[in-house]
Formats: sequence, C-alpha cells, structure tokens
Amino acid sequence: MKTSNKELLEELKKNLSLTEKQQLQIDNLNEKLRLVNEKLKESESLKSHFISNITNEIINPFASILGLSKNIIALDDDKINNAKSMAKLIFSEAFHLDFQLINIFAAAKIEAGTNIPEIVNTDINQLIKTVIDAFAYDSEKKKIDIKFDSLISSEMKKTFYFKTDPEKLQIILKNLVSNSINYSPESNKIEIKAWIENEDLNISVTDHGKGISESDKKLIFDRFKQLDSCISSINKGYGLGLSVTKSLIDILEGKIDIQSNINQGTIVIITIPEGESLSDDIAFNGNEFLFESEEVF
Amino acid sequence: MNNLQTHYLYPSAIYISRKPFYITTILGSCIAVCLWDKKLKFGGMNHYMLPFWNGLGLASPKYGNIAIEKLIERMLFNGSKKENLIAKVFGGGEIIANQSELFNIGKRNIDIAKTILAEKNIPIIGSSVGGILGRKIWFNTENSEVILKYIKKTKK
Repeated sequence: MKTSNKELLEELKKNLSLTEKQQLQIDNLNEKLRLVNEKLKESESLKSHFISNITNEIINPFASILGLSKNIIALDDDKINNAKSMAKLIFSEAFHLDFQLINIFAAAKIEAGTNIPEIVNTDINQLIKTVIDAFAYDSEKKKIDIKFDSLISSEMKKTFYFKTDPEKLQIILKNLVSNSINYSPESNKIEIKAWIENEDLNISVTDHGKGISESDKKLIFDRFKQLDSCISSINKGYGLGLSVTKSLIDILEGKIDIQSNINQGTIVIITIPEGESLSDDIAFNGNEFLFESEEVF
Repeated sequence: MNNLQTHYLYPSAIYISRKPFYITTILGSCIAVCLWDKKLKFGGMNHYMLPFWNGLGLASPKYGNIAIEKLIERMLFNGSKKENLIAKVFGGGEIIANQSELFNIGKRNIDIAKTILAEKNIPIIGSSVGGILGRKIWFNTENSEVILKYIKKTKK
C-alpha cells in the first residue's frame, strides 16, 4: 500500500491546523487561570487585612464602652446629668459593634449554606420605621434628614402585610441606610420609598452623596472591599455590608439595582417577590412576634 | 413514603443530619449532590446554581466548587471517613434552551460535580442529570434512597 505524497501533505496540514486550534484554546484557558490566580492573591491579602481590621474595630469600641461605663459608675451624685451624654456615646459604639457583628454572622451563615428564608407576614412600613429609628443617632449627628414615603399604606388605608423574611430584609435595609448616611455630606437628606409593583415589593433608598462611578459598580459587591480604602478613611465598617446585602437578596429571590451619578447621589432599588409563608405568625419587625391569644402562667 | 421528617433545601444551602430525614428540593439547571455514609448510615445534600465561584461576593454554596467541598467537609465533621462516602447527583437540566456553549449552565454544573467527586475518590453510584425537564427529589438519609419526580415547569 502506498500513500501519495499529496495525501500525506493533506493529512499533515489537517493535523497542524488542529494543533493550532488546540493551542489557542490552551492559551485562552491559561489566561483565565491567570486571572483567577490574581483574584486569589488579592483575596488572600484582603483577608489578612480584614482580620487586623476586625481586631481593631471590635476591641476599640469595647474599650470605649468599658471606659465610659466606668466613668458613669464613678460619677458624683451631683454630676449625674453628665451620664446622659456618656450613655449616648456608649449607645453609638455598641450600636455599630452590634451592626457589624450581625453582618459578620450573616456572612458566615451564608458561606456555610445554613442561611435559609424564614417567611412570615411582615408589616413593611413598621419595619422600615424601625430601621430609620435605629439610625436616628447617626443621622442626627450628621444632620441628615431621613424621609420615608410609603405608597403602601396610602393605597391600603390599613396595615399592610407582605410575606417575606423580616430579619433578612432588616439587615438589607440597615446596610443600605448605613451606606447612604456614611456617603452623604452633612446637612443633607435621604429619601426612602416603598411601593408594590406587579405584586413585588419595591424599596428605594436615595441619597445625594458622592455617588459611585460606572467601573466601581462592579466592585461594590466584593466582600471586604471598600472603595475608599485609604487609612484615613472616615467610613466605618469592613466593606462586608453590600456583599451580605446581595447574597440576602439572592436568598429572597429578589433583585438590586443601583443608579448613580458622580457627585449627584445614588438610588438603590430593591425588588423582592412575595415569599411562601409556612406559618401565620405576624412580625412587626425582626424581633417581635404577635400571638392572638393571651395566656398567663 | 414513610413518616420521616422532611427538610426543604433552598438553593445555595446545605443540609446534613445524623438523624433520618427526607431532604427534598426542586432542581432545574441547578445540581444537588447527595452524599451518604455507608458505615454510619446518614447523609447530606447541597443545592448549587453555578459551577464556579468567581472570586466576587461571598464564597457561598451557590457555587458548585464551594458547595461540594463544604458538603464533604461537613460530612467529615459529622464523623464520616472519606472512603465510606458514596454520592448521587441530580439536576443540571437545560430548562431554558441556550444556543451558546458558554451559557450551558446545566452541563457545566454536571461537569464540575463529576470532576470534583472523581478527584476526591467518591464514587457516584446513582444519578439523573441533563435533559430538558426539571426535577423534584426526596433523599432519604436513612438508607440513601432517592425518589425523583420529573416536573415540566420550574423557575430555577
């Protein structure tokens, strides 16, 4: 049997073009691998940064809480009025500590795959008011006016219940409001709106702060990422907030949309579909439940 | 079905119990990996939506590579030895028809399960993957039996 030179040449050409194609694919995969590798390196350095951050930001507030309460205990009876301002400072430190710990534990639970929706009838207006109240001290300090405009109650004329996970929704809103306050200049205002569209719950938080650039929008959901990460940054937190927010919205099968213009402000809109309730308990906010019958023991 | 307690597994979650349970979930292009310890006779299940964690956001079991590693980790934490583990894999259907290879999420989800389980030497002793239908499964963690029903429409 004899193969002609021509046939051999054809065969060789075919093999060569196939090899070239494969080489191209390998190059392509290598490039992807390199990018992932870079991500991993970055993630590792951010993680070590995170641990040193966390140590500072937990130990420092505790130190001031301990110091301030010691001062109150040591106050003379005639100076007891000073206790009020000190208690305010203690509250502020404890509030931020509590808020950050809630975010850290939420992130840990999401990463462990144990954070599941617990759907109950929720009074949305009340829940939003609770969140605004929680930040009253912060907003007062920066002279920021938080306006809440609920289209839900005006339509319904009575208490409106929406089936969702109040605890998760509260963490989501706390993060959005906290961000808006942090990134707003002093003496400004923040507007919160709530409405129902296509049976989905929509909540928007609008601020008039410095805004987010188009390229930064991709980064903000990164864990441990803070856009303003210089040491002198006046912004509190670990940059964990928005990645927790995003994951919690995922769990509630909702969406988050961010519209922003540099130096004009940011509008964040979340859209959450109604969940399927497994029980008929009614929650006013994340912590309280109402039961119809009274029982005394 | 007998009177076992049922746990509904949400997407991106993991559930393991040393007590007998039915773990149930609904799958479209998502995958559920069931791991079972043939010595200690208990099991666990995950439910992931995408093959790889992209390095952004939280490293949650929404992603196959993380969900499978975490499920194995949790089995070991609950007393299993790796050589006693067996796996069953379900889901990965193409519910939404896609022309592009890149968006072939169902298939890529199946591949990552096979790759990681092979890497860890955990045999897949049963599976129902691919196709165009959704699936509802009940995993009996007492005897590793999985009941499967095909469903036409799913949102996942």
